[in-house]
Amino acid sequence: MALKFRLMAAAVALVAMLAGAWVAEISREHDARAMLLPDQVITVFPDPKQLTAFALTDHENRQFDLASLKGKWSFLFFGFTHCPDICPTTLAVLARARDLIAKNAVGAEDIQFVFISVDPNRDTASKLGQYVRHFDATFFGVTGDNAQIGNLAGQLSAAYQVAITPGTENYPVYHTAAVFLVDPRARYHAVFTPPHDAETISKRFKVVRELEAGNAT
Amino acid sequence: MRWRHPVFVGLILALAPLPAASDAPGVSVRNAWVREAPPGMMTTAGYMELRNDTSRPQVLLAASSSGFETVMIHRTIVKDGIAGMVHASQIELAPNASLVFAPGGYHLMLMNPKRTLRAGDAVVINLEFRGGLVLPVAFEVRK
Repeated sequence: MALKFRLMAAAVALVAMLAGAWVAEISREHDARAMLLPDQVITVFPDPKQLTAFALTDHENRQFDLASLKGKWSFLFFGFTHCPDICPTTLAVLARARDLIAKNAVGAEDIQFVFISVDPNRDTASKLGQYVRHFDATFFGVTGDNAQIGNLAGQLSAAYQVAITPGTENYPVYHTAAVFLVDPRARYHAVFTPPHDAETISKRFKVVRELEAGNAT
Repeated sequence: MRWRHPVFVGLILALAPLPAASDAPGVSVRNAWVREAPPGMMTTAGYMELRNDTSRPQVLLAASSSGFETVMIHRTIVKDGIAGMVHASQIELAPNASLVFAPGGYHLMLMNPKRTLRAGDAVVINLEFRGGLVLPVAFEVRK
């Protein structure tokens, strides 16, 4: 049985390295052996990419940069506050995910959630503050100039387009619907694919955090 | 007034001088709710389950409300990982079928509320169908 598991784990690891890893549910068997099942909720990168310098500003006008991502797991979501459906839906899911993670023994001390507005034209710091706090008092609302938003988005391969139309306040904004997971070493570690679900995100995150803690020791 | 359950409001043609008045509407709405907007935000969305109990297709053409400056029928589309919204100009409900307006899909985009809506409030949105049927539906505001 143990051999079978090992073989399965080895096979999965191989596929993961080749294809960029669909990780998954952990199931504890005997002495903490992880079983990985393929799914399409999260992609964990076998070789997380180190992020490089960027300079944004948070909802209290503090600098939000590479150092802000260090020491914690960060869940990043790109959007804009005029977004009626997918942004509030995702932020509500993330708020529930945070609650679920907080109930775990390890807790939520080592995680943070960052909403990055790609629409600095309309989203001021104070607006962002009101917005993110509505979902969770600990959430960060971050934005900056277009070059710096593009800088961080580019490092995560997060696409967006702001179709500013002169004369209207209600121009459309397109943005990636994924939630990006950056590890405490500021490396792009994994990405959650929509549709998002709080239970699934919290479960998958616990697995990723455990695996990483295992790697570190 | 709270709307928890199968609510239907078959209000109708009774007041409108329409020839189709003999055809009982039979379009019902359940679980209608509006997401409470974060403070200061002028945009939110409404969701519901629409059911067509008639043996003919019914077409939702538009929605309006005295509670908002603008109400539009939209659909969130995620294509190649990118989310955007498209305007749904008309939505056909197949006979004896349901259509769900839910987060991440079809929704009523609600802009510029006339008053601040908080969880527990109700707001009426009129659904306008082809043939003249107008269905006033009370949406519950939820967090």
